[in-house]
Amino acid sequence: MAPKETLSSPEPSRKAELVIKLSEFEIPPTQDILLVGRRAPIGPEAARRMVDAVSPEQYELISLDHEIFEAIVVKKSLLTLLPKDKLLPVVIEEGNRIADANMVIKAQVNISIQVSRTVDI
Amino acid sequence: MPTIEGLLSSALYTIEAWASVRRAAAVMEYHGIGCLPVLDEEGQLVGIITSRDVKGSHPNRLVADAMSREVVTVDPSASLWEAHDLLLSHNIERLVVVKDRQVVGIITGSQVAAELGKYVDPLTDLHKAEILYERAVRLLAKGWEISVVFLDLDDFGRLNKEYGHVHGDRILVRTAQILKSLTVEERDTLCRYGGDEFAVLTPQPPSAAAGLGREMVKAVEGEKWPLPVRISLSAGIAGGGRSGNADTARHLKELAAGLVNAASLASSRAKRLKVPVLVADGANLPELKPPAEVRA
Repeated sequence: MAPKETLSSPEPSRKAELVIKLSEFEIPPTQDILLVGRRAPIGPEAARRMVDAVSPEQYELISLDHEIFEAIVVKKSLLTLLPKDKLLPVVIEEGNRIADANMVIKAQVNISIQVSRTVDI
Repeated sequence: MPTIEGLLSSALYTIEAWASVRRAAAVMEYHGIGCLPVLDEEGQLVGIITSRDVKGSHPNRLVADAMSREVVTVDPSASLWEAHDLLLSHNIERLVVVKDRQVVGIITGSQVAAELGKYVDPLTDLHKAEILYERAVRLLAKGWEISVVFLDLDDFGRLNKEYGHVHGDRILVRTAQILKSLTVEERDTLCRYGGDEFAVLTPQPPSAAAGLGREMVKAVEGEKWPLPVRISLSAGIAGGGRSGNADTARHLKELAAGLVNAASLASSRAKRLKVPVLVADGANLPELKPPAEVRA
């Protein structure tokens, strides 16, 4: 039970409680793809500078002519698996469903290639 | 003709491309200005950010992400008229003034318009003579042949004395309207040269300019004037172009002034001889074909 403050009590006591959550900083924090909204707090140039600083030469910035997104930052390794014209429309379409122009959307993309071949035996 | 250099203020405020929009807004507000040229790390112009850009962007953004990268620049030696043309053709409100690849200032459309207003005759709304000289020098610099039609109202002093200056002013205004209706705006420059004198600069040979002069004289004489007096004009024509080494600004100004003077003297002579139009001696240059866009 908390002590009752009365007129004759001494100065009230004040305490601070600290809750600390530690986790590893993800590098790069952008993951695979960033969709940059037209009115987002960071623009394409800032996004490019950020990824260049933390992961030099690993990302490509592509300007978009799109109602909501101004640019897309994409991990170059993804583009070796899938060409831009196949990958980007899908990501943009899905981002479009959930985002508005004020947002920066981070997307994690897993690409698995399925191959089935037959050989003569 | 003054250049835009005269419009530049000593204070120039710029911002780095990597500053925040928030900071750009603060700089603009503090200095009471509507835009900032944006410079890169080397101090080179890379864009311009306006108060409109600031309003439409998140304050956390980099200036580089909010600025316009298409900047229309102008040299400080450009004339007011050249600046005016640039603003109109690009449909913009500001020009960044750049000298030797360094930003030296910004001029606005309203500044240019206000300055140009000083070269408009308030009575007739025609240009003042300075504009004619400026355009003459520009045409001569491009290698064009030009002609000047100098027009003088006959006995205008007597008309002013007999009927008063209010009527005199009305005749000047109507004469200006008649002359303007006979010029081609994209081709000719009509100005009120002085009290009752008008001048037309046209990039045509003297023979064509004489034709224009005759038309003008005829139109003014054919007008139904409210006063019971005969209103007439005397016109003098002079034409010529750049020759030899006459290509410095001073030479071209002298050449333009010489043509205006010759046309003015021809107009006085026409008045004395009581002929409507007189072409100045030595101005009968061979017929030179103007560039296609002028002929069109």
